[in-house]
Amino acid sequence: MASLPEIEFLRGVPLFQEVEESVLRALWPSFRERRLRKGDVLFRTGDPGEELFLLKEGSIVVSKPVTGRIEQVLARIEPGEVFGEMSVFGDERHRSATCQAEMDAVLYSLDRDSLSRFITGSPLTAAKFFQHMAQAAFKRLRDSSDLVAEVTRWGLEATGLDVEHK
Amino acid sequence: MESRPKRARLELLVRQADGDGFEVREIPSAVAYLQSRPQRIPDMDWEMARLPYARQGVVTYALKNRRTEQIIQITEAEKFLWEQMDGQASLQEIATAYLLRYGSFDFEIIPTLIVKLLRADLLTMRPVSRLRAVLARNRRNAAARALEGTLHALERLTVTSRRAHEFFERLYRYGGFLLFSPWTVLALIVMVGLGAWGGVQIWEELGEVTHGLARHPLIAILLVKIVFWLTVVNHQVIHALACVHYRRRVREFGFTILHGFIPTFYADVTDIFMGSRRARIVNAVAGPLFHLFLGSFCFWIATMLSPGLIQGFLVASAILQLQSFFISLYPFCFLEMDGYHILVEWLGIPTLNHDAVRFVRESLWSRLRNVVSLTRRERIYVTYFALSLVSVTAFVLGTVWLLVTAGQS
Repeated sequence: MASLPEIEFLRGVPLFQEVEESVLRALWPSFRERRLRKGDVLFRTGDPGEELFLLKEGSIVVSKPVTGRIEQVLARIEPGEVFGEMSVFGDERHRSATCQAEMDAVLYSLDRDSLSRFITGSPLTAAKFFQHMAQAAFKRLRDSSDLVAEVTRWGLEATGLDVEHK
Repeated sequence: MESRPKRARLELLVRQADGDGFEVREIPSAVAYLQSRPQRIPDMDWEMARLPYARQGVVTYALKNRRTEQIIQITEAEKFLWEQMDGQASLQEIATAYLLRYGSFDFEIIPTLIVKLLRADLLTMRPVSRLRAVLARNRRNAAARALEGTLHALERLTVTSRRAHEFFERLYRYGGFLLFSPWTVLALIVMVGLGAWGGVQIWEELGEVTHGLARHPLIAILLVKIVFWLTVVNHQVIHALACVHYRRRVREFGFTILHGFIPTFYADVTDIFMGSRRARIVNAVAGPLFHLFLGSFCFWIATMLSPGLIQGFLVASAILQLQSFFISLYPFCFLEMDGYHILVEWLGIPTLNHDAVRFVRESLWSRLRNVVSLTRRERIYVTYFALSLVSVTAFVLGTVWLLVTAGQS
């Protein structure tokens, strides 16, 4: 049974903000706690993905391989954020990026079957859950397009390329 | 007023070769730009002509791309920069060369010229380390992989403080300034006199001195080495203080493995190039003079002691310090040490080492075959190259001889 601090933590996560307490208590046993030491890889690009994660403590760096041992840092996951949902809800069942602990981290995982039970068990609550999920996805999309612009600007500045007059 | 946007930064995760360990490196675009090596197109694809109709006193040139038939007009200073863009020198080195040549720096001239050259298809840009690029291309080869891994591991040994300037400013304020007063020069002259006198005294009792050292060989070697390393740190500290003295910035101070195999301390005092000629020379001379002072001091103190480990240690340290003094000031060794910087200031050829090697490698033999006489500058290149070659060869042979004779004895 979930204790008060755990429910309070879930309540602080935007995704579960509008989920009723009784539903949260019922869902809580499905969460699995994972602890990562700094440098531990949670999953790599291309791994099969069956669960989403909720970060409680620490920091996770999300990266994508570029060349050799070099990867582009895409984002950092901070406590209270959910990640890994793309391979759970998306049409691609494989991880699209690598997630690795940048410092010691505590997180909870929720697998696809538990999520399906949650969705079918409380459709109204699930609708609010997906509304927040969509908002999070839009924010990621905005961040990604900002990153593309920043990387392009970096390339132009680093090479001194003058495309305005070419 | 429209504010200039902050330079873009790329955040890269660099994974270790042997596991999941990683580090995140932030690379500002400005750093990548400074480290790029612009390369002009092959010589057969361009031509240059001095324009006869330039304004009085202003020399300009027409630079033509033979493939595209595009022509741009460049100034004398831009011609100098164009000559440096051989794919070997980084933009940072080119900027330094420009400053040494013209005594001042226009921050816009290089970016403006690069844009002009790129538009006319006269230039390509290269990454900074050709060795690393070659290694990266040949990762399937185990040896290349191992070498790349070793270089990467050695790079990680670098310890750097980018906030060094504030520390050196305090050090200068609390006494460092005394090093750059006439009294210090006087003290140095007196100390060199005492040291020379001490050296003569010691020379007459050399047998006893070396005997004192040989009785405790391990302690002696360790003592001499450790103290010498500390003085190397001081050499760099004095360069940094000279930089502060001339109101320039100490960009970095730290420890690194130079060229992947020489462990050394270093101070990044490249900001001194923005100072006066006098500042650059004083900065170059200050470090070696510290060795001269310390060597003389050790000789002088050694004369006051009776034979034994301490006297032997002081004499050995004195010899090492004087050796460092001469090596730092010796300009002919293909390494750009303090003496080299003084030489290029004197000759007014900021990229002497680079130009001399290129001239000997690419042009000298054809000039000799065709019996074409050399210009003054070309004679300087050949002299520098020859003296450096002879010096390096003599140094290597001397070291081998020393090791062989030491082994035999």
